[in-house]
Amino acid sequence: MSVESKEPGLLEIALTFASISSTAFGGGQKASVRQQVLNRGWMDHERFMDGLEIAQVLPGPNILNLALYCGQRVRGIPGAVAAFVGASVPPFLIVLIAGALYFKFSTNPYVHGALRGCAAGALGLTIANALDLSWDERADWIRLLIVAITALAVSLLKMPLLLVLVAFGGAGIAREYLSSRRKTPKIV
Amino acid sequence: MNHTVETVLHLLWTFSQLSVLGFGGGKGIIPQMHADAVERYHWVTSQQFTQFYTIGKLVPGPTTIFAALVGYAATPGRPLVGAAAATIGMFLPSSVIMVGFDSLWDRFRASPWRTLIARGLAPAIVGLVWSSVLTIGRGAPANAVAYGVTAVVVFLSLRTKIGTPLLILLSGAVGVAAHL
Repeated sequence: MSVESKEPGLLEIALTFASISSTAFGGGQKASVRQQVLNRGWMDHERFMDGLEIAQVLPGPNILNLALYCGQRVRGIPGAVAAFVGASVPPFLIVLIAGALYFKFSTNPYVHGALRGCAAGALGLTIANALDLSWDERADWIRLLIVAITALAVSLLKMPLLLVLVAFGGAGIAREYLSSRRKTPKIV
Repeated sequence: MNHTVETVLHLLWTFSQLSVLGFGGGKGIIPQMHADAVERYHWVTSQQFTQFYTIGKLVPGPTTIFAALVGYAATPGRPLVGAAAATIGMFLPSSVIMVGFDSLWDRFRASPWRTLIARGLAPAIVGLVWSSVLTIGRGAPANAVAYGVTAVVVFLSLRTKIGTPLLILLSGAVGVAAHL
């Protein structure tokens, strides 16, 4: 029972991720990748879920990391390169077109109004995301405290990102380590 | 040194740092990106930063692709070069880490470090997202209509299944109608 039963061409890998990255938004992207790689027989569900977890733990956009994982699993480094090109070039070109239009038309009163309206909406989405993520932390007041201290340290004291991750990320990892030790008996 | 070359090097270096620190899918890097792009290098204004972030949410693919627009604005003489430099900086370093991790995947799979890192970093990332709210808010319009749009979007995003691009486009429609 081989997991990588079919070996796709590099062009096929690039085009697969190009079609996903140029059409899918937010959470829909992961579902699209899953559907594509399973339908094409590139890997099984378990392998895919492994990749999804790793893609979310390591830095970088989840969708890009997931594409790299899939490309590399089926065709090694060349497959990862093909996946990188497929997952990043279409969004780059689309955002360039948006940028060119922005610099040409942003002073037009209608476009100006639209952009400001869109910005107010994007702010709302960010607030909703922050609320949603905070709600997930409600079970542990120490984790909520880390959320609050981080927000204050970054907003008021302009603490650099690296320092934030070391100090407050480190505090969160320590908290997680201690509470996981308390929950599960020591495995020797 | 040629001014464009210098800016391109700054773009590559700035976004590469953000790339390797982009845990949680890059949700936490917005305040630092603002500190670098607006306050330190003056590549864009606060209002442009917020609008570029908005465009990043509106287009398919990762939101952090809006780094390309910061690069575009940073090199007025050669916008495409700046856009490419910022994008390469934003996406390449984290990708190299992801690919380089290959040999560790199987060992990492059973390791308790996986959940420890993912769950442990989460509160700091959430704090950074709250800070992003202030960062993005600095460049958003400050009037009653805009606050109303923001509040309605918060509600709709949490309570309905309306997708992100549609919510932003509807907000834009209100912006046109209200001459925001």
